[in-house]
Amino acid sequence: MRFFDLVSLIAYNLSRRKGRVALTAIGVVIGTAAVVLLVALASGLQRNATNQFAGVADLTIISVYPKWEEAMMVEKVGGGGGGGSTTSTVQQLTTPVLKDLAALEGVEAVIARDSLRTMGVLKYGRLENYAYIFSADTPDYSVLGYELAFPEGSLALKKGELLIGESAMQQFMDPNWRPGRPEVKQPENLTGQQVKLQLTRWTNEGETINKTVYMRVAGVLKAKNGETDYAVVVRMDDLTTWNEWAMGTRINRNKEGYEYVMVKAVDTRVTTTLAEKINEMGFNAYTPQSFVEGINNFYTIIQIVFGGIGAIALLVAAIGIANTMTMAILERTREIGLMKAVGATNRNVLSIFLGEAAGIGLIGGLGGIGLAWLAAQLVNVLAAAYLESQAAQMGGNAAGPAAYIAPWLPIFALLFSTLVGLISGLYPALRAATMIPVLALKYE
Amino acid sequence: MGRNKIQALAGVDLVIPPGSFTVIMGPSGSGKSTLLYLIGGLDRPTSGSIRISGDDISSMDENALAVYRRKKMGFIFQQFNLVSSMTALENVAFPMRFAGVPGKQRLQRARELLAKVGLDKHARHRPTEMSGGQQQRVAIARALINEPGLILADEPTGNLDTVTGYTIMQLLSELHTAGRTVMVVTHDVRMTRFATHVIYLLDGKLVEREQFEAASQIPEAATQPSEGTTL
Ligand SMILES: Nc1ncnc2c1ncn2[C@@H]1O[C@H](COP(=O)(O)OP(=O)(O)O)[C@@H](O)[C@H]1O
Ligand SMILES: [Mg+2]
Repeated sequence: MRFFDLVSLIAYNLSRRKGRVALTAIGVVIGTAAVVLLVALASGLQRNATNQFAGVADLTIISVYPKWEEAMMVEKVGGGGGGGSTTSTVQQLTTPVLKDLAALEGVEAVIARDSLRTMGVLKYGRLENYAYIFSADTPDYSVLGYELAFPEGSLALKKGELLIGESAMQQFMDPNWRPGRPEVKQPENLTGQQVKLQLTRWTNEGETINKTVYMRVAGVLKAKNGETDYAVVVRMDDLTTWNEWAMGTRINRNKEGYEYVMVKAVDTRVTTTLAEKINEMGFNAYTPQSFVEGINNFYTIIQIVFGGIGAIALLVAAIGIANTMTMAILERTREIGLMKAVGATNRNVLSIFLGEAAGIGLIGGLGGIGLAWLAAQLVNVLAAAYLESQAAQMGGNAAGPAAYIAPWLPIFALLFSTLVGLISGLYPALRAATMIPVLALKYE
Repeated sequence: MGRNKIQALAGVDLVIPPGSFTVIMGPSGSGKSTLLYLIGGLDRPTSGSIRISGDDISSMDENALAVYRRKKMGFIFQQFNLVSSMTALENVAFPMRFAGVPGKQRLQRARELLAKVGLDKHARHRPTEMSGGQQQRVAIARALINEPGLILADEPTGNLDTVTGYTIMQLLSELHTAGRTVMVVTHDVRMTRFATHVIYLLDGKLVEREQFEAASQIPEAATQPSEGTTL
């Protein structure tokens, strides 16, 4: 029997019993729709959760720190040997180490980080700002995903320039302000403005020495619910000079290394494996990606649970298919006898009835996907307004659809519903295939 | 079934020459249908063997038997056994599906055969739109579609009036004249006119004509089973 003839015969047999096929398929429609919609809801939730998070943090960035806690353990084990030698046991983020990190597979960039190790006050006119001051050693901060709040600025710093976070810019204080006076008027856009940075150090005698540096604001960083919001970013060479002044010693990056290092991966997919590799090298590597993967695992479980609930509906539908097929085989016993009399093999008969059962599953699956799609549209329209207001309050990216039908989902659902049909038809079809022709022909 | 063993046929030793027209006569329940189903490979004997042109069909596996049924024989039933939802043409073409013949060829051949049984005008009719005689002719065309050498007919005129039955007999006779081996089970003595061989069955045993006629003339003496047991 040709495959096309088999399929056309199956289609014909289903079409001549439209009513019953439709009734049986309704069970599959509901089951498939339940599976698809519930899984779509779970993946919608998941995508929204990860999107919200992705808005806050760059998921390709791994933060690498020296393993300080190991040094402390060594100190305890070593006993009263004095604190001086312990630091040498910690592997520092030195320039050669940075080169090693850059050589790892999947690394796009290695960016050294340091912060101001003394007090620094930013002054703008009479106003003062105590923002956190740090540097990431890169010629252009767009690599780190930084964005400007005002287009006229620049993310590439020249010597004596700084970037200020949008929120930090709103945090200026007037040291002469007293209760009852009007609120401090915050600057609207500092781009291109000159500010003063007052640095302070203390001598061994407890004397304070101040130093003022004139800086130009190269740009204002767009608020992103991230670390730059309340920070001031400067060039590494400027920062190193100030730190050396504050400590009174030269900083040897080959020995002392950096405070920490940001490793940018080429892709979010390699972030976690890269972090593991760096951990194995003897550093502490943190990545928001591992957190996101945690979220993903959680939602995968939800998807499985939701899918399972839908699958129960499909199971009920399977019983319906089995019942319909059993009935059909009783009604068509003589027809089966005839098929055998004219030369159908057991395999032919088996294929025909299995095909019919799978066909009911397929039809139901198609209907179910259609129904689920309609329901998903409805859910999305209803949820859109609510989620939008939610996103406006919480910040981060705007919410995506509440029910998200991934491209693989309809394909999977269709295969699954067809498989359910096939399995339900297995026993009736086997019975049909193994009928003895003479008995089937005499069946009343 | 199977609780009480009924011996439908016992000790039937029989050779059917190729190209013959054999009529099998016997009262209800004498085992005529059983014999024909055995020869058609639709049933299996509990013991003994059936050879068709040298091949022992009683020892064939299911697949080989299906191929035998498809290629070597055509079966005609008393109840026609047409698929009610299919047209005459589709019914005739149906067996060719299992032979893997392409659709176009199937329908063309079926059309030829319908013309041969005089139903070219009825190709699009469904069984319910045809008379019994027409339905049986469709069934005969269907039995011929895979060009078998052996035609088996189980009471083909049993559901037809005498005139229509006679035309069906003539049609079967023509098949014989065209060179096929034909075996017909019938109650109708008129059928013996076309026969080259007549076989008499009584209670599952082959008997001679005299013995058979003696039994039919005195029905009280014949060991006939009650009517209800026949199918
Ligand atoms: N499916 C069956 N189950 C049990 N007994 C059967 C079956 N088919 C036929 N028989 C018995 O076998 C015998 C022969 O039947 P059958 O070949 O149909 O006779 P005929 O065709 O000559 O009327 C009868 O006694 C009948 O009751
Ligand atoms: Mg009979």
